[in-house]
Amino acid sequence: MHSLETVELTKAFGGNLVLDKTSVSFQHGKVNALIGPNGSGKTTFFNCVTGLIRPDSGRVSYAGADITRRTPHAIARAGLGRTFQLCRVFPRMTVLDNVLAATRPRGANLLRGARGRAETDRARGWLTKLGIEHLAGIEARNLSWGQQKLLELAGVLMSEPETVLLDEPAGGVNPALLDRIGGLVRDLNAEGRTFVIVEHNMDLVMSISDHIVVFDRGRPIAEGPPSMIRTDERVLGAYLGV
Amino acid sequence: MPSASRAQPARIAGGVAVLAFAAVALAFPSIAPNPYILSVGIVVLNYAVLSTSWNFVGGFTGYISLGHGALAGLGAYSTGLLVTKGGLPSFVALGVGALLVAAIAVPIGYAALRVRGASFVIVSIALVLITLLVFQSWASFTGGSRGLNVPRPFPGLLRPEHHRVFFYLFLALLALALLVWWLIDRSRFGLGLKAIREDEDKAEALGTPTFAYKLVVFVVSAFFTGLAGGLYALWFGDLDPIFQFSILTGSYMVLMALLGGVRNLFGPLVGALVVGSALEYFKVEFGNSPLHLVATGVLLALVVLFMPDGVLPALGALLRRFSPTTDSSIREVTAAELAAERATIGGEQHAQPRNG
Repeated sequence: MHSLETVELTKAFGGNLVLDKTSVSFQHGKVNALIGPNGSGKTTFFNCVTGLIRPDSGRVSYAGADITRRTPHAIARAGLGRTFQLCRVFPRMTVLDNVLAATRPRGANLLRGARGRAETDRARGWLTKLGIEHLAGIEARNLSWGQQKLLELAGVLMSEPETVLLDEPAGGVNPALLDRIGGLVRDLNAEGRTFVIVEHNMDLVMSISDHIVVFDRGRPIAEGPPSMIRTDERVLGAYLGV
Repeated sequence: MPSASRAQPARIAGGVAVLAFAAVALAFPSIAPNPYILSVGIVVLNYAVLSTSWNFVGGFTGYISLGHGALAGLGAYSTGLLVTKGGLPSFVALGVGALLVAAIAVPIGYAALRVRGASFVIVSIALVLITLLVFQSWASFTGGSRGLNVPRPFPGLLRPEHHRVFFYLFLALLALALLVWWLIDRSRFGLGLKAIREDEDKAEALGTPTFAYKLVVFVVSAFFTGLAGGLYALWFGDLDPIFQFSILTGSYMVLMALLGGVRNLFGPLVGALVVGSALEYFKVEFGNSPLHLVATGVLLALVVLFMPDGVLPALGALLRRFSPTTDSSIREVTAAELAAERATIGGEQHAQPRNG
């Protein structure tokens, strides 16, 4: 079953064709990885899928619904959560508020206190799971890069997405942290969450993914399980550089 | 929780300051030596309401509007015109006028809030210039540059009594604006707005309907700004487009809020007390010369240089120096805690990346 799918998605910046009629689909309930050389369009793909950038043409569908022209918050509310390549947190809010800001109040609930017990417990639960609960009261700008990456992840998870798009979760983090992020992805996947991960760290990609899509110049050139990708000659030529 | 004890001195000082302000404000009409000083008090309170109203947008979302002067002017004129042309009772006109401003703010916000940063500032300035032109040119309806006389709501009152009543009316309006700001500040809606201030795209990606949030808070801000403008019209009784739709009014609101601290409930009030009093003092000392503007500019430069977050956060930081700090991203752990932690992590062998 396909959860996230694009059909002939195209996006150019000036004369630079970044996505070239890209048609890919990611499997529901799996850990999908999206790999490829720098500039192959992975982040632009994420941005088009999550509504941050309008594609020039083509279609994005999620769980059977066309989400191409929806606003980013509508896409997030449809169940697609994402992190950013250059990790983005709310710098002058506390770590706890950063996570609480991801709750989705509606209607009269909007005027209730932001730090209700149920939400706070849930937010602290995510912080605990990511090992940064002791930083809850500190402004996020005072955190290290690795801690901010974990915080961003906690925020996205707080918003209860069915599918999580992670843009380079391993970028600039130490090996121990990498293990923790990898383990968390597998745990959450076991609970039923779908992942699409853009990542350059091949050890991580190969160890946690069920399905890998390889991009080159805005088009998928190969896809399949890690064992197949590892030996695919086009991939070796374009990306792994062997 | 360690942060509770840390916040104590600042919190106590804050509480004392608020009570002291409330006591002085309530007693002010009685202790003011003459009606002129009382009228200065009203002008300063009017600034405080305007600046607090501005801070619904500026403080929560970080959108710097220089156009709020136009919203105050629209409030003043709609109240004035509803009384003079519509024949409504003064305070009914005030309410209806403010609702009209809020209604006008919907299309204005719909257009202006689509752009961010400097572009938004420029659009907001345009609003002031356009309204000024309209109200000057449409003399048959607005009175144009000849001005618009708004009859007093209490014709029987002598001038000092008139000031006294309006001082309390402005004080009540200020209290209402502060109460609503506080309610939003602690709400989920407020947290969403602050997320917009911090990183709008990120807030949007987390599922916050940022445009709707901005529009709602802009309309709330316009409503209070309109009320302040309308109350001013009823008090002062004489409106001229050149003063009502002045770029200076909006600039003062921004300056006062920045000076006090836009993230603080009482920031704009503190700013209004300092800048408003200084403005009135300079006007008395130097008459109609532009010297009060120069002095205000110098004041703003000093604040931006030395207290970029405003006076209140600077005072808070000063107070916190006197209490032991626990603000650190490094947690101290005892040997026993460490052992317990190792035991729970067990075979996973995950090092705790405290400093990543």
